[in-house]
Amino acid sequence: MSEGKRTESLMDKVWKFFTSLKLAISVIIILAVASIIGTIIEQNQPLEKYRQVYGDGTIRLFETLNLFDMYHSWWFLLLLVLFTVNLSCCTLDRLPRTVKVVRNPKTTLDENLEKSLAHVDRWKKKGGMEGLADTYKTAMGSAFASPRVTENSGTLHLYAEKGIVSRFGVYVTHLSIIIIFIGAIIGNVFGFKGFANIVEGKSVRVIPTRGGTDQVDLGFAVRCNKFRVDFYPNGQPKEYSSDLSVIEGGREVLRKTIEVNDPLQYKGIWFYQSSYGPAGAASATVAVNSPEGARMETFSLTPGRKVEIPGYGKVSGIDYQDNFQGLGPALLVVLEKPGQPPAEYWLLKAYPHFDRQRGDTRYLSFAGVDQIFYTGLQVARDPGVNIVWVGCTLMVIGIMIAFFMSHQRLWVRLSRGGDGRVEVVLAGSTHRNRLAFEKKFEKIQADMRAVEA
Amino acid sequence: MWNVRLFDITTLLFGVASVNYVVALYGKKETLARIGTWICVAAAVVSTAALGVRWAESYKMGIGRIPVTNLYESLVFFAWSVNLFYLAVEWKYRSRAFGAFVMPIAFGTMLFAFTNESSIQPLVPALQSYWLHAHVITCFVGYAGFAVSAGVAVMYLMKAKREERKVTGGVVQRFPSTKVLDELVYRAIIWGFPFLTAGIITGAAWANYAWGTYWSWDPKETWSLIVWLVYAAFLHARVTRGWHGRRAAILSIVGFVATIFCYLGVNLVLSGLHSYGGA
Repeated sequence: MSEGKRTESLMDKVWKFFTSLKLAISVIIILAVASIIGTIIEQNQPLEKYRQVYGDGTIRLFETLNLFDMYHSWWFLLLLVLFTVNLSCCTLDRLPRTVKVVRNPKTTLDENLEKSLAHVDRWKKKGGMEGLADTYKTAMGSAFASPRVTENSGTLHLYAEKGIVSRFGVYVTHLSIIIIFIGAIIGNVFGFKGFANIVEGKSVRVIPTRGGTDQVDLGFAVRCNKFRVDFYPNGQPKEYSSDLSVIEGGREVLRKTIEVNDPLQYKGIWFYQSSYGPAGAASATVAVNSPEGARMETFSLTPGRKVEIPGYGKVSGIDYQDNFQGLGPALLVVLEKPGQPPAEYWLLKAYPHFDRQRGDTRYLSFAGVDQIFYTGLQVARDPGVNIVWVGCTLMVIGIMIAFFMSHQRLWVRLSRGGDGRVEVVLAGSTHRNRLAFEKKFEKIQADMRAVEA
Repeated sequence: MWNVRLFDITTLLFGVASVNYVVALYGKKETLARIGTWICVAAAVVSTAALGVRWAESYKMGIGRIPVTNLYESLVFFAWSVNLFYLAVEWKYRSRAFGAFVMPIAFGTMLFAFTNESSIQPLVPALQSYWLHAHVITCFVGYAGFAVSAGVAVMYLMKAKREERKVTGGVVQRFPSTKVLDELVYRAIIWGFPFLTAGIITGAAWANYAWGTYWSWDPKETWSLIVWLVYAAFLHARVTRGWHGRRAAILSIVGFVATIFCYLGVNLVLSGLHSYGGA
């Protein structure tokens, strides 16, 4: 018996602990303060970077406390769990009481209630009770909300309420946080995040995830047909885009050009334009011409490679400029002819016959550079994300309901006074936004006092 | 650049309005405060026009985009929001005493903007999104609400201290009653809070659309969460534990300090994904 009692009181204590607002505010503050740490210590950096900032002892200490990946540490997750448990317990503890208030409204104004209310007014009026009740009913209906009337041993009670839904705003908001957490957990457990670099013309099917420690087979391949980057006049990138094809079962099933802020989605897997870079060295296309201007051959030059032109000499490219002295793209080549010292000169793309002026047996022209790029794609599947958006929407709605609406109630009691006149008591209450209600109450009060029965 | 000239005029107007309000309060010259209101209205017109002109000028430069994408623009937009929020409060609560505490915030913001690069720069690809508009506007309306709340909280503390010591007279006499001030500290926050919430959510939605992660604990995200938590704590303490008056006012000021850090400190001190303020 005593054993049972003790456990019950322990349970009570635990329940009280988890439903206390003190705990809620403490957890919120602790979460806020703890979150600061992770913004001061840079998260998930390579060890070398930490070595530049911290000593060995500090690094060991921080590693023990998981401060380098703080937001995924056991203790931070524990805080989030505590936060969620507290939130759920508070809701379970308070919701039934709210439902009770909503379901069984106090429709009669007795003396105890009257004393507890902040807004009370009383006056006397000549005339019949029924008639007065009807007039007040209409007045309340147009100024506030239509009241219900109850009669109780010669006393008439009018009761009207408004904005009852605002009592539930807080629960909607709390529920929305739990929904967001559920969505986040689903995304973490059943989704993945990876990264793929695809060279133009190539495709990928398997994506490395978790920083390369794991991988995911997409079940289809993604090919990068073409990558493109545009620049502003000042040289800053304006937009970069990748022309992608989804290939499944040997067929192209989808094709889309993605850019930053415009991803591709196939079978729940999203591909986001994230970065780009050159794949290998650029190559320059150079043509060999006879002095008469007939094209004899073309070849491509890559850095560090010499190309032999039979019966003439060896050519290599050593520099390239986008705009050489205002003359446009230009290539600097070295020509080595047998028995002669190497000679350097520029070839201009815009003037293909420029090199003819050397008056040699051959002249060269520069047709342009080719650069193959790779596109860097963020690849993600997150089956929980829509649940998160539902939670977010509910959160905004819940907050609006909770703070911009209020549960307002009005009571009127009519009884026959000793002097034969009707005694009228008007009382009101609001569970939020007192000042706004005060003004409303004053207006209703004035209106009702003014009406003629 | 026409828009920058107009913003310079706005700065001047905010400065004159601030002086007017302060002198009116301490020198008991209601006329000056009334002039202050009209200067604020003029500043609202000029700064709105300046934002429009800047927007149009960016299109003329071939890089058309909403003017809220670097530190200079975000500062002038913040000052613009504070001014409008303030005018709404002045009109609703019929008191010009607030002006002496709120308009200097707008003026200081413009002075700070003055020290920053003001030319129109093209947008990096990551910022070219319709989410930008919703994200920035919601965040700044939220920030403006918190700024007004903190300004009023200072007034509350001044007045409550005087009343406690039973000192009569002085500037606080011209303040609304402590009851009204206390209520306004709260009301400004319940305006700011849902906007901050929407700002964080639109930011998350945008991040998800741009790189597939709605939350990555980037310092800016984390600080916005910290600010959100501080005001959540404020609202819980107020609504369920009846924190009024002094403690509520102090919490409102703490919240605004966190807001300022989230807005400026993160960019100036920490590193992250948000563009303005850094380079």
